[in-house]
Amino acid sequence: MRLGFGQVALRPAELVEDASGQARTSWRFSDPALSELPLERLLDELLNRVQEALGVDTVAILLYDEEANELVARAAKGIEEEVEQGVRLPIGQGFAGRIAGERVPIFIADVDHADILNPILREKGICSLLGVPLIVEGSLIGVMHVGSLTPRAFGQADLAVLQLAAARAAPAIERASLFAALQHEHRVSMVLQRSLLPQRLIDVTGVGVAARYLPAREEVGGDWYDVIELPRGKVGVVIGDVVGHGIAAAALMGRLRTALHSYAIESHSPGRTLELVDRFVHSLNEPAMATAAYAVFDTYSSQVTYATAGHLPPVVISESGARALEVTPAPPLGAFPYGRCPEHELTLGSGEMLFLYTDGLIERRGVPLNLGLDALVRAVRTARTPEEACVFAVADLVPDDGLRDDAAIVALQNSVVPAELHLRLPAEPKTLAHVRRVLRRWLIERGADDADVAEVTIAVSEACANAIEHAYSPSPASFELDASGQDGEITVTVRDSGRWRAPRGENRGRGLSIMVAAMDDVKIDRTETGTEVVMRRRLRNR
Amino acid sequence: MSLADVQLTLAPNAVVARITGEVDMSNAEEMGATVIGATPTDAQGVVLDLSDLDYLDSAGIYVIFGMRASLQARGQSLVLVIPSGSPVHDVLRLAGAERPGEMADSVADALRGFDGRSPGGA
Repeated sequence: MRLGFGQVALRPAELVEDASGQARTSWRFSDPALSELPLERLLDELLNRVQEALGVDTVAILLYDEEANELVARAAKGIEEEVEQGVRLPIGQGFAGRIAGERVPIFIADVDHADILNPILREKGICSLLGVPLIVEGSLIGVMHVGSLTPRAFGQADLAVLQLAAARAAPAIERASLFAALQHEHRVSMVLQRSLLPQRLIDVTGVGVAARYLPAREEVGGDWYDVIELPRGKVGVVIGDVVGHGIAAAALMGRLRTALHSYAIESHSPGRTLELVDRFVHSLNEPAMATAAYAVFDTYSSQVTYATAGHLPPVVISESGARALEVTPAPPLGAFPYGRCPEHELTLGSGEMLFLYTDGLIERRGVPLNLGLDALVRAVRTARTPEEACVFAVADLVPDDGLRDDAAIVALQNSVVPAELHLRLPAEPKTLAHVRRVLRRWLIERGADDADVAEVTIAVSEACANAIEHAYSPSPASFELDASGQDGEITVTVRDSGRWRAPRGENRGRGLSIMVAAMDDVKIDRTETGTEVVMRRRLRNR
Repeated sequence: MSLADVQLTLAPNAVVARITGEVDMSNAEEMGATVIGATPTDAQGVVLDLSDLDYLDSAGIYVIFGMRASLQARGQSLVLVIPSGSPVHDVLRLAGAERPGEMADSVADALRGFDGRSPGGA
């Protein structure tokens, strides 16, 4: 058995143990429970069983890193330092490296006189070593070795046990490693996907929104949604689906979402925005394709303009039910050079909703897509809020064991404009833009024309600016705004609890001039407890 | 969404500042400071293009007067481009300040006006 410098290549195992002994050893390593363990616990359990079966002082498992062509210490008992220090050993040299390179078991009787690369083995005082390759379907996946702190002549029986352990362990390790790698990719994809989706839906005056990203059973894909606040009281809503799965699809999704968002805030129309994203995809010069739908809702006029690129039709939900909208078929983004995305328009009534989704939501193996769309329309028809629409769609369409493909959904509702406004608002300058959006929508709903809207809006905004300037208490201050309309005349009251301050300088006093010029009647009531401005105006075409 | 956007272009004799979006008490001072800060001292002045500005309030008008004063102190002039019928034109009318400074019908007209002046407004 001993040869040269104490290093011996052993013949393949011949099981020499008696029947009962073999059966017991075999059971130790083929316990079905082992195959259920995650990689770390599986390795740990194998080490324990080998240590127990052979009565050795050290056990180590090194896994083969194909890219680096090295062995990496992955689990150890008695020589934990090997793993802690992340020992990496070249293939073909040294004890473990030769086992891996030559795919043969090696026995070292006397470590002091052997070709050992890993100093930890000597430092630990190991005298004798026995190692075997871990092989699955002809491919090397690693090395397992055992060691003794006292001189020990490992024999054929020991080798047989170690080989049996290796034969049982290798496929389990391989399976667990693959699973761990997949899990890792899945985790990375999920984190990536989440970081690429909007962290928080924007709060836009005049609309309610809700959205969901629904990952597939097994992996993430490239589906996304977006809600974009646009100038002039508009809001954009996007749904998209990158062809493919995994990290690559999620990363491409992030780029497409950003590209679309960027073109959208430049106020390009929905069709033009999708066309620009199509050009963007072509410019990437890599195989990439996606479908998308983009709709712009004008909160002032209640008009929706939408376009699709290879995407399923949006659904409109109203009190009378739900229906899929008409779309002109257009190619997916990145499919053909200079793809065109025709636009469609519709009016979204007060309280009505636009529902966008990706095919992952309605696709079922062996079921035509139109039946899936019918199921979606049935699921959401009684929804009265965007959140309900999302909940109903998920409840009816996501199977108990999850979706086969990932899906994204987003619902946007034209909020009901109340007949009267009663607002309590924070006394800070950025409130003004919000007040104007609310007021413009309310005025249009009351039948105001463009000039009415512009002039009343500036008058009220000036009154609110005064209220904000008056609020010089250190605590968070607020003011109130009430608006009502009757017989074509509107009344707006702005009330604060601060003291009236005389306008400073000629130019600073222009706010009051504007209010007086824009409204038919302005009354300012200043008291010890606050200032109240009541403004009236008869709408021009009423 | 940011409320307003300032696009600055350096013409041979003047800075052209095109303001879009909405200007109110929340961003007026910042808008004015941005434009003044970007104007080189050797420029003859600033063309403030308000043609596509959707909204301007009294705080914004106040800042425009302030910009004119700052530029004048440096021997520079402010020319406003405010077409009739634009939202800004309407608000100036309501405020009784139709001409808060030198006016031009277009950016091109405003820049032609700068051609004849010597640098520094001397």
